[in-house]
Amino acid sequence: MLEQLLIFTRGGLILWTCKELGNALKGSPIDTLIRSCLLEERSGAASYNYDAPGAAYTLKWTFHNDLGLVFVAVYQRILHLLYVDDLLAMVKREFSEIYDPKRTLYHDFDDVFQQLRKEAEARAEEMKKSKQVSQPISNNMGKKQGQVQKSGIQGGNKKKSSGESGNDGEDGENLKGRKIENGHTNGKNFAADRLPSMGNVNGKENVSSNNGAFDVNKLQKLRAKGSKKVDTVTNKSSKEEPKKKVTKKNRVWDDSPKESKLDFTDPVGENGDENMVVVAADEGESMMDKDEIVSSDSETEEEEDAGKDSKIETKKKGWFSSMFESIAGKANLEKADLEPALKALKDRLMTKNVAEEIAEKLCESVAASLEGKKLASFTRISSTVQAAMEEALVRILTPRRSIDILRDVHAAKEQRKPYVVVFVGVNGVGKSTNLAKVAYWLQQHDIKVMMAACDTFRSGAVEQLRTHARRLQSHVRSGGISLVKNCAFTVEFIEIPIFEKGYEKDPAIVAKEAIQEATRNGSDVVLVDTAGRMQDNEPLMRALSKLIYLNSPDLVLFVGEALVGNDAVDQLMKFNQKLADLSPSTNPRLIDGILLTKFDTIDDKVGAALSMVYVSGAPVMFVGCGQSYTDLKKLNVKSIVKTLLK
Amino acid sequence: MEKDGFEQLKHQVEEWVREAEKLVHQIPQTQLYAAIGVVLLTIFFFLLVRLFKRAKPNTIVLTGLSGSGKTVIFYQLRDGSSHQGTVTSMEPNEGTFVLHSEINKKGKIKPVHIVDVPGHSRLRPKLDEFFPQAAGIVFVVDALEFLPNCRAASEYLYDILTKAIVVRKKIPVLILCNKVDKVTAHTKEFIRKQLEKEIDKLRASRTAVSEADVANEYSLGVPGEVFAFSQCQNKVTVADASGLTGEISQLEQFVREHVKA
Ligand SMILES: Nc1nc2c(ncn2[C@@H]2O[C@H](COP(=O)(O)OP(=O)(O)OP(=O)(O)O)[C@@H](O)[C@H]2O)c(=O)[nH]1
Ligand SMILES: [Mg+2]
Repeated sequence: MLEQLLIFTRGGLILWTCKELGNALKGSPIDTLIRSCLLEERSGAASYNYDAPGAAYTLKWTFHNDLGLVFVAVYQRILHLLYVDDLLAMVKREFSEIYDPKRTLYHDFDDVFQQLRKEAEARAEEMKKSKQVSQPISNNMGKKQGQVQKSGIQGGNKKKSSGESGNDGEDGENLKGRKIENGHTNGKNFAADRLPSMGNVNGKENVSSNNGAFDVNKLQKLRAKGSKKVDTVTNKSSKEEPKKKVTKKNRVWDDSPKESKLDFTDPVGENGDENMVVVAADEGESMMDKDEIVSSDSETEEEEDAGKDSKIETKKKGWFSSMFESIAGKANLEKADLEPALKALKDRLMTKNVAEEIAEKLCESVAASLEGKKLASFTRISSTVQAAMEEALVRILTPRRSIDILRDVHAAKEQRKPYVVVFVGVNGVGKSTNLAKVAYWLQQHDIKVMMAACDTFRSGAVEQLRTHARRLQSHVRSGGISLVKNCAFTVEFIEIPIFEKGYEKDPAIVAKEAIQEATRNGSDVVLVDTAGRMQDNEPLMRALSKLIYLNSPDLVLFVGEALVGNDAVDQLMKFNQKLADLSPSTNPRLIDGILLTKFDTIDDKVGAALSMVYVSGAPVMFVGCGQSYTDLKKLNVKSIVKTLLK
Repeated sequence: MEKDGFEQLKHQVEEWVREAEKLVHQIPQTQLYAAIGVVLLTIFFFLLVRLFKRAKPNTIVLTGLSGSGKTVIFYQLRDGSSHQGTVTSMEPNEGTFVLHSEINKKGKIKPVHIVDVPGHSRLRPKLDEFFPQAAGIVFVVDALEFLPNCRAASEYLYDILTKAIVVRKKIPVLILCNKVDKVTAHTKEFIRKQLEKEIDKLRASRTAVSEADVANEYSLGVPGEVFAFSQCQNKVTVADASGLTGEISQLEQFVREHVKA
């Protein structure tokens, strides 16, 4: 059973919910979907899983970008509802007809919805039955459907309806891509669920609406055909449906631009009826056969249309109409229109060192937010796409929580607790150096810092930290002299205590003792240096997980090199994954912030910042950009976005 | 903003020129003149609209944390009607309308442009787009769940109050304590005091020393004194409301004070 179906505006106003389904949703799946999926540029995914106490929902959604509407269906995950995509598509189509921005109540949609649901259920039922007859093809179709529906630019079904070959390869890619998201969303992962079957009608329709290579007119024909088929199938299974549905359907499905509507309404109706007769006569045959009939039919039709099409083509080329088009705004954007621009954009992001998977995901998300939108007057597709991407990038890089560490330190101070920061990361990224920079920065703000040397693994690590501590002291002291001149206080007594217990101790215990010591001597902040570790090193990751669990730090700071490309994704994902998996706690701590090092060495290849933030959802808190202690900065979101899109 | 607009315009013009060049070879003279006429006229209109838009700030901006009730208030102002509820906003709600409560008033009433900007922190950069036209800012606070959100709300408010454009243009701010229909809601006096206290602390941590600091464009209040909203250059007032039950008269008053009917 469907739990709920909602229609709301992107502005956040709920326009319609199904009162009949009525049962209140547990938790707040919709808000969670918006916050941790749609606003995280993951709307290209196929579905979203939401877990709350006593509920395990799967959510599916579709956008009407031109009207700014969102349609979300919620159902129990254990029920693999097959008709949801189909139902959403139909609801979208029907609702967009009656939508009016001035209106907030749509009670009259209740009946329409009931009808649509019945149809969709019946169709699903039909599919199930026929699946037993023709297993292979329906499976294939199902795969295609799941993919085309949501996977943005990936759905490369540019071939005609027979273009199912090569689908499997794409599918694998799709799965791989989704795996990233599974890790860090902490249980609420994006399912890569591939719905079995359901395909025929839907698959067909998707292909046509996806197929930008066709002319709109042909496209519309195909669509009308699809709708006819829908009707026949439904009629078969639920005989009580009134015949007039057929004509009504025809009007609704036919949502291509006006121009073509004028020219072709009649032929479509005729052809459609013909088609219906043929299919109806085929009752009882397997899906495979039906499919063939339709596709061969559409081919002959294409030929028929060829003449008319070319006529329209020439007319279209007239300068006035093209002028008019650019003034009045072009027709709704189709996926295929967006593809070249998105491809270019993806390549550009990748030259800036953005991980490929991330660039891909972003493009999908941008595609999902643009598809079906009207191109504004005087704009090119490429600039529209670029603007949408720019907005998406700003959104991602804008921290979703406060990154004001000083305020947090002061708050901890009020509670007479030291503020604990754990620095984690792989080997050789500059953890200790940047820890020292942060220490220096904190000292500038009159905060008493203590360092804890918890790298009890690599020999020389403790000494390295001690050297930093000593150098920092002299640094502060020499800086202090000038301070004395200006201000009326002395900084002579500032020291950076370093807490160490030598090697081969359990780092978790060392950290614990360091924090106790800090509480005793009144330090405000404890900076915990840990051993660098590869994300695949299970024992070391387990030790880190224990350290974090035992000491519950205020901040887990991931130190990463700005140089990394595709590896950034793997590092951060695995770190988070391992921290989650290996933690004794049921509610494990993950990475809360990122420190990017060696930012001065990368020129305009700033992609790592984006990859890391996208994968982890954690903000970049500091950027290390040089050799001296003062070389620590905040990330400038605007300039990063500019650089990425340059 | 200004530069951006110009750049865009330049781009467009360039595009037309290119297009025109291509077409000139194929089309008769009269059509050409017609086309040029159309183009010029559109540019003229474009500029006119732009100029007009910038002339008078007439926008009231609704801001505040996610879940504080901005969208509910927006629709209350517009329709005064009931609806099915709201979810987290992904895009601003924008509208130019005569306030619902004034629809039955006699005489000609000037419509107000109202924008409800989502509170989700990822969407906050959007806010800056609306400040240039802002005649007033309404900062909505959830009076029910105030304490858990106090710090986040204060930080957001601090960021707004220290925006260069807000300070320079002295845009008035109304702190609107929403959801007072519930008995457990905090009073506006309490909320004001807590916000002042928090902002006072934020002031300490936001004085920039190095490039690693979270810095704001302007500093707030009088140095060496405990912060109070009365120290702000712009007028900061406090009011309460309930978007759900429609008690928004104080808000409407604020709107009418700053966008003259
Ligand atoms: N009791 C009560 N609840 C309210 C009131 N106003 C809003 N709410 C509830 O607060 C919740 C959030 O309201 P929204 O208007 O969506 O919040 P918002 O500020 O627009 O949130 P974002 O769009 O995420 O920024 C809804 O569940 C409302 O029912 C009110 O006056 N009283
Ligand atoms: Mg809202």
